[in-house]
Amino acid sequence: MKRWSLAGLLALVVALLFTVSVFAADVIKIGVQAPITGKFASEGQSIDKAVRLVVEQVNKKGGLLGKKIVVITCDDEGKAVKAAICARKLVNDGVIAVIGSYTSTCTEAAEPIYYRAGVLQTSDGTSDTLVKHGYWTFFRNSSPNSAEAKFTAEFFLKKQHYKRIAAISDYSTFSVNLTNAVVKDLKKMGGNVVYTGKIVSGSQNFTPILTKIKSYHPDVIYFGGYYTDGGLIRAQMVQLGMKADFVGGDSNDNPEFIKLAGKAAVGAYLIDVPLPEMLPYPAAKKFLKAYKAKYHENPASIWTLFNVDGLRVILYAIQQTKSLDTKKIAHYLHYELKDFPGITGPISFAPNGERIGSAYMAYIIGPDLKYHIVYREK
Amino acid sequence: MEIFLQQLVNGLTIGSIYALVALGYTMVYGVLKLINFAHGDLVALSAYIGLVIIMQLAGVLSPALLILITFIATMIITAIGGIVLERAAYRPLRKAPRLSAVVSALGASMVIENGIMLIWGPMPKIYPASVVPNVNFDLHGVYISLMQILVLVISLVLMVALYLFVNRTKLGTAMRACAIDQDAARLMGIDVDKVIVTTFVIGSALGAVGGLFIGMYYRGITFNMGWIYGLNAFVAAIIGGIGNIPGAMLGGMLLGIFNAFISGYISSSWSMALTYVLLIIIMIFRPTGILGERVAEKV
Repeated sequence: MKRWSLAGLLALVVALLFTVSVFAADVIKIGVQAPITGKFASEGQSIDKAVRLVVEQVNKKGGLLGKKIVVITCDDEGKAVKAAICARKLVNDGVIAVIGSYTSTCTEAAEPIYYRAGVLQTSDGTSDTLVKHGYWTFFRNSSPNSAEAKFTAEFFLKKQHYKRIAAISDYSTFSVNLTNAVVKDLKKMGGNVVYTGKIVSGSQNFTPILTKIKSYHPDVIYFGGYYTDGGLIRAQMVQLGMKADFVGGDSNDNPEFIKLAGKAAVGAYLIDVPLPEMLPYPAAKKFLKAYKAKYHENPASIWTLFNVDGLRVILYAIQQTKSLDTKKIAHYLHYELKDFPGITGPISFAPNGERIGSAYMAYIIGPDLKYHIVYREK
Repeated sequence: MEIFLQQLVNGLTIGSIYALVALGYTMVYGVLKLINFAHGDLVALSAYIGLVIIMQLAGVLSPALLILITFIATMIITAIGGIVLERAAYRPLRKAPRLSAVVSALGASMVIENGIMLIWGPMPKIYPASVVPNVNFDLHGVYISLMQILVLVISLVLMVALYLFVNRTKLGTAMRACAIDQDAARLMGIDVDKVIVTTFVIGSALGAVGGLFIGMYYRGITFNMGWIYGLNAFVAAIIGGIGNIPGAMLGGMLLGIFNAFISGYISSSWSMALTYVLLIIIMIFRPTGILGERVAEKV
């Protein structure tokens, strides 16, 4: 009895495989590997929805190379183990390109599988290591962590012309790495860093270290930690009568920062990738409108839009090369694509799959307690 | 010189908050020989209660009245919390071995901490910007805000009042009697249970003032902040000599000032570690704390 059902199952699988390969001829399959459930569910679902929206738009115009595009989604739950399973599943499903995943961890776990199968992959993961494996299949569609440091240093020295810089971090790996990278880039560009120090996140009382920093007479304090501390640091700087500017790294970008700092938030600078609605590009406004019309909400975050750009650029490359050969598409993306008008800014790729240029922007918090762009890479 | 004075102001402000919280530890220890580990979480709870009251009454009352009512209401509610804590977690274990009570205290701490998280969520809550008007005084380069002055003055007044209460009133005398020998106190006709409840009421109410200061001065409050303030205050109580009321005040102030000067003059990265090294040195030379002779007598 058991053997019979097994045989039946096998027959079914074989039959299914045949149907799949029959269909494969006249559709282009695009995979989405994203955390549809779990901690990052809102981000993952937003990416999936956005990809489906773009594909729907393309299909409405007659598809790509005369073929319809089909989206296959796999939920990696934001877990590395699931990411590897998803990657194998999508490869078996015969996708030619995968959008995802949202987290660097999941992206990195899936990378070698796509590489071995020759499937293109584009991700918003910001970990610097993603492009260090030498996989020709991988394209980062956002800016890596190191780009933030470089951008910060340029903002400090080329725009603000700070002469005496103090930098603080907390003890988290993220914060220490970011702050160290900023200090390193500042020194490389000839910046004068007069003080570096660390605070204990959550200790709330930062007046001792700020009083000490005050004695160095800096004209700016950079903080590479989280908004829960950043807001208080800013408030206590003002309370101590410090005239120095405050510049916060990307984790200070949270509405709570302004609530914590209160009136002291006015005049503080933050550095981060922009909110979707702050993107200055016409293509971005058009996409956001379409997204809102279809789903009656805004994309979860800017990361959705980075992934959309990853998808759009791959579809564009397919059209330009008139080919579904991933090697040819990758070559086009690496060497021929220049300044594709993405919704998160112009897109070009370095030969290692790194997106060239940075999407980071510097904002000042105005008296209206809203963000105003003061600096961005040309 | 400005830097020195500024650090002194910084240290005294946070030190007063530590001292207020430390009083709760030290009073309960004095009477019950129990470390009330849930005290720090009660302080965190009071900060949340204060926030709820402020959000309800803001705009309805004048600022001065708002602050007054917030303080009184929060102190009363937190004191009731202290009574409930004593009834539920400590009184049933009064005759049990000391360790059982410690475990019960840790359990109560987790219940309160997670209760706060369930009610108000894990994200930080933020006090409105100007409960206390945002006035800043510049004294020749030393900056002190109205809020800091309030923290220092109110703490000082409360501590003096507590000292007088314990040393000059009948109930205070009963409290001291219970601290020395509960059985003897009972033989003298003192209602020990009443004294213990009073201890919890006063300790919790003072902690509530500390919690409100944290909320109003630092603005951001989190459900788990009771742990870090509790730990610091507990250490302050031990440094001053646990069970000794002026000792807790002194310990809190010293802890705040040490911390400020070490991060100001040596290294901010090492401030916590070096503060504790200094405190260990004090403990080596005075194992019972700076003002802790009375504890030594009892042992």
